[in-house]
Amino acid sequence: MFRRIFSIAANTFRETIRNKILYAILAFALFVIGMTFFLADLSVGDFARIIADVGLASIHIFGVIMAVFLGINLVSNEVDRKTIYIILSKPVRRFEFIFGKTFGLSVTLLLTTLAMATVLFLVHLSYRYGGRAEVGIFIASAGIYMELVLLTCLASLFSTFTTPVLSAIFTLSLFLVGHLTKYLYVLGEQSKAVGVRWGSRFLFYILPNLENFNWKNEVAYGGLKSFSILGWAAGYLVAYAACVLCLSCLLFARKDFK
Amino acid sequence: MMHERPILAIEGLSKSYPTGFWRKPVRVLSDLSCEVRENEIVGFLGPNGAGKTTTIKILNRLAFPDAGKVTLFGGRVRDGADVRRRIGFMPEQPYFYEYLTGGEFLRLCGQLCGMSPSKTESRSLELLAKVGLSMARGTAIRKYSKGMMQRLGLAQALLHDPELVILDEPMSGLDPMGRMEVRGIIRDLKAAGKTVFFSSHILSDVEALCDRVIMLHKGRKVAEGRVEELIGAETLYIELVVSPGLSADRLAAAEIPPEAGFAQGALLVLRAPDSGQANRWIAGLLREGCTVLSCVPVKKNLEEIFMERIENPSATGAAS
Repeated sequence: MFRRIFSIAANTFRETIRNKILYAILAFALFVIGMTFFLADLSVGDFARIIADVGLASIHIFGVIMAVFLGINLVSNEVDRKTIYIILSKPVRRFEFIFGKTFGLSVTLLLTTLAMATVLFLVHLSYRYGGRAEVGIFIASAGIYMELVLLTCLASLFSTFTTPVLSAIFTLSLFLVGHLTKYLYVLGEQSKAVGVRWGSRFLFYILPNLENFNWKNEVAYGGLKSFSILGWAAGYLVAYAACVLCLSCLLFARKDFK
Repeated sequence: MMHERPILAIEGLSKSYPTGFWRKPVRVLSDLSCEVRENEIVGFLGPNGAGKTTTIKILNRLAFPDAGKVTLFGGRVRDGADVRRRIGFMPEQPYFYEYLTGGEFLRLCGQLCGMSPSKTESRSLELLAKVGLSMARGTAIRKYSKGMMQRLGLAQALLHDPELVILDEPMSGLDPMGRMEVRGIIRDLKAAGKTVFFSSHILSDVEALCDRVIMLHKGRKVAEGRVEELIGAETLYIELVVSPGLSADRLAAAEIPPEAGFAQGALLVLRAPDSGQANRWIAGLLREGCTVLSCVPVKKNLEEIFMERIENPSATGAAS
């Protein structure tokens, strides 16, 4: 089973790294991150903070673009191009296919996030007015990466039953909502109606809470120095991603290919 | 050597697909039952939309039936890797990962089938040579022609040396030379003890290759049986080719009705209803100084049988 998942993951990785659009997005992301070196000159005061702030935001935005762009086509491309016919006719179970595709894309996103974080780290290190080695950039990027993995899982879930355009809309909607669930909970708790309070609690727990992976501000203000914060976020990612992948597998298990 | 053990048994298979805004179901397969025995070559015939590809998708777990069951190798089809490992499948107009080369794609297939790298490598070389793609092993699939894709599809289906080979329209997109090569490969598979089940609407290929055929029309089986049984022993007519052509007067002198023949260039073609009549006509033609170039009994071909069954599904046949 693991060998087949690994083979599909390796093939997905090969597919994504041979995708020219990915390189175009990555090149643009690296350019923007590199430009923070000059952007800091235009700011007043804490230059290093500007670099970390704008740089991590760039990693986040471009990472989400890559995850959504590649994730929504993860399964639907295989179905549209009918390549899935040959793969599923081999001794491959459908859940192995879903897991393999998701893992393969996660590895690609790991490399692209690492590349962007490394460039930001170097920019931060080499900045002429008080540049320093900021390890927090990698910790915050690890959080961004975990968020991207979760978005990939969500995009692959949608791509099992709907078109790429709708998958993109659903995934981006969850991305936006995922950063606002805390407010949803707080606003719900202020309501006097029991139904609203329970409804907001339900949504708070069922929707992904992407703020669990957001440590950008702590890095920008120099408050994040420990890797221990990764533990809780990783646990949340594993639990939520497992649920999403299981749902994908259930939906995909009895899908007819016309 | 042919065995009686069914390797594939289909019982009462029905399938509908939802279509349109209201998802109204459209029946594409109705109560299909048939079987394929070990070491047979079975042709699955029908016009476009007959339900051939749907049946083949169900056999490969790419679609699920509304009713009925499929038994492969004596056990009900499950998502089991063991059953899949014994089947080779080539879809209609196969599609591949265009960013891979032919060799890389076969390596992926080998990994998915649980083959060792060395075994995959040796089988790939052997099969690419067999399908005439040795030179294109390192070429990206996006540069392959339609015929090359078809050949690669055949190679991946045979890579893991399956017992049952299911091919959906294996001849489509191939030139006459390619079709001949594929026919040869299918015959070789039978000689190696494999079972082949393939769909086609090229009836001449089916007639030349198959031990048995299953005919499908609008999702229903219209005939099933051995080719020779379906075609039957009955002679439709006896065709005589005569030189030179004769005038109406000389035909009358040879006691041949003018409507029994037609001119084909300088020759005359006559169709005698039976061998007695043909003998009498030959005697008359020889009296008139003609030369009989050929005398051939003409039987029904699969195409005629197929059209007959479509027009009249209740027609009795040898093994329907």
